[in-house]
Amino acid sequence: MPALIEARDLTKKFGSHVAVDHANFTIESGRIVGLIGPNGAGKTTALRALLGLTTYGGHLRVLGREPLRERADLMRDACFIADVAVLPGWLRVDQAIDFVAGIHPRFRRARAVELLAKTQIRNGSRMRELSKGMKTQVHLALTMAIDAKLFVLDEPTIGLDLLARRSFYDALVEDYMDETRTIVVTTHQVEEVENLLTDVMFIDKGRIVLDSSLEDIAKRYAAVVVNAADLEAARALGAFFERRTLGKTVLYFENVDLAKLSTLGEVLTPTVSDLFVAKLSGSAV
Amino acid sequence: MNNMIWLIRREFWENRAIWLLPAIIAGLLVVAGIFGGVHIGPNEMHVGPGDMQPNSDHSMPDSRVIGGVALFAFSIVFLGIMSIYSAWYLLDCLYADRKDRSILFWKSLPLTDTETVLSKLAVGLLIIPLVYFVIADLTTLAMAFIISIRASSWVGNSLWQPDIWLQLQVYWLYLIVTLALWLLPVAGWLMLVSAVATRAVILWSFLPPLALYLGERWVFGTHAVGAILTDRLLTGYPTTAFHASGDGGGIFSAIVHDGRADAGAEAARSVWTYINPAGFFASPATWIGIGVGVGLIVATIQVRSRRSEI
Repeated sequence: MPALIEARDLTKKFGSHVAVDHANFTIESGRIVGLIGPNGAGKTTALRALLGLTTYGGHLRVLGREPLRERADLMRDACFIADVAVLPGWLRVDQAIDFVAGIHPRFRRARAVELLAKTQIRNGSRMRELSKGMKTQVHLALTMAIDAKLFVLDEPTIGLDLLARRSFYDALVEDYMDETRTIVVTTHQVEEVENLLTDVMFIDKGRIVLDSSLEDIAKRYAAVVVNAADLEAARALGAFFERRTLGKTVLYFENVDLAKLSTLGEVLTPTVSDLFVAKLSGSAV
Repeated sequence: MNNMIWLIRREFWENRAIWLLPAIIAGLLVVAGIFGGVHIGPNEMHVGPGDMQPNSDHSMPDSRVIGGVALFAFSIVFLGIMSIYSAWYLLDCLYADRKDRSILFWKSLPLTDTETVLSKLAVGLLIIPLVYFVIADLTTLAMAFIISIRASSWVGNSLWQPDIWLQLQVYWLYLIVTLALWLLPVAGWLMLVSAVATRAVILWSFLPPLALYLGERWVFGTHAVGAILTDRLLTGYPTTAFHASGDGGGIFSAIVHDGRADAGAEAARSVWTYINPAGFFASPATWIGIGVGVGLIVATIQVRSRRSEI
């Protein structure tokens, strides 16, 4: 079965600025992929290309389609929330449901109504009358009622308070995710999503610097906490990043002999956040 | 087609002024007709509480003429306001959802950019005029009824002129169709600006043509651009879509002038002879305009689907 998303040499330039630089990746179905990078790394641009919202160079297929040319077609099987609070102020909740029900062949109206019934939102409210969190709930209800194969979220929780953020991700994982669906989510707040991801892609300055499933991360990466006395010995094993903490040093390794490492100190599996910092802090040792 | 109907319905949700504005004007006219003193035509008559006599320095005017003038005057009010609103609508329609970023929602739905652009073009060029047409029609009927009753002491019920009314229906529908085609390049330009500009759409709508006009005058000393613009926006349409009248007044004086001069039904009926569909559709200017309009709309669709920034 072909990959759900297939990008080869995906490139996007704005003038002389290269936002996405020859990115290569594939995403299989049934995964929850985090596209993670600092601000301005090219996450949003990459997603916009996937969704047919921007021109791009290179080869790109999403659900077997060419996004820019076949966006409307693609949106039958894919859906996205590309920003918070983008539902227009004049739109009423019932109008939004009517409209999507009217034009989207895979929209299940009953599902949207059921999801909204759990909230405090009234059917006759206009978006401009709702709080940011409520707007996001409406958008999420509309989107989760679409029986889509691919769901793309770009920084979906920016500007939401902690409670709204938590319930957003809970709803996403508990009510939506199953093996037939694929979710791609971008964020620069790694901690928020790392527990729900199956795969991570780190993007920095337009380049994919890490593309791995979480299982593979556990196999490939290790960190060791060493005392000053063992520091040189640990460095000799080829750490790609080190960090000082409480008089000790944490060194990060890729594909290292764990047996050797464990003689030097306590061996840890780095969390996604740790790895993010390690990979993106730039200079190696 | 289903998508089109939903997209057009969506425009009505977003732009309630499409029907609210003419409805309010209609309401004001009707209220004025019921309670106010109403002048119809320059000096023909004055209808007001306690003043139900024609002005003394005039002979008794022909009620047909007054009816025709009334019907026509209301149409002109609606037509003027509609033109301004329509132009504003077209200029704003692709810009508004970029400004509030809701384009990111609309583009997440299985609708092509072609459908979106065409639905907005249809609303701006056809649906808005049709809404005004229907509301203006209902208003003129109501006004003819009201004035007939109020002024019945001397004009009787003859202000209701079915044949003039019927002529106005044809006149309106002819106007809607031919103006939509004639102004297609203007609508295309406004939509292109709406799709491209990141701010100040009004400025962008007239600065480039103005710059072109001034540039041509300074560099070449000619004014071809000015002539083209004047022709498209002002003089070209009436001379292409209508036969010139004997006195050069054109369609706008047809009912009033001929009606008054001859004070007869035959003359009033002459409105029919002013419209010139054969001439309009045979004119190269019509087709050149349509060609340019289609080009601009294709460009608008391209911009809408391909631009990278919002």
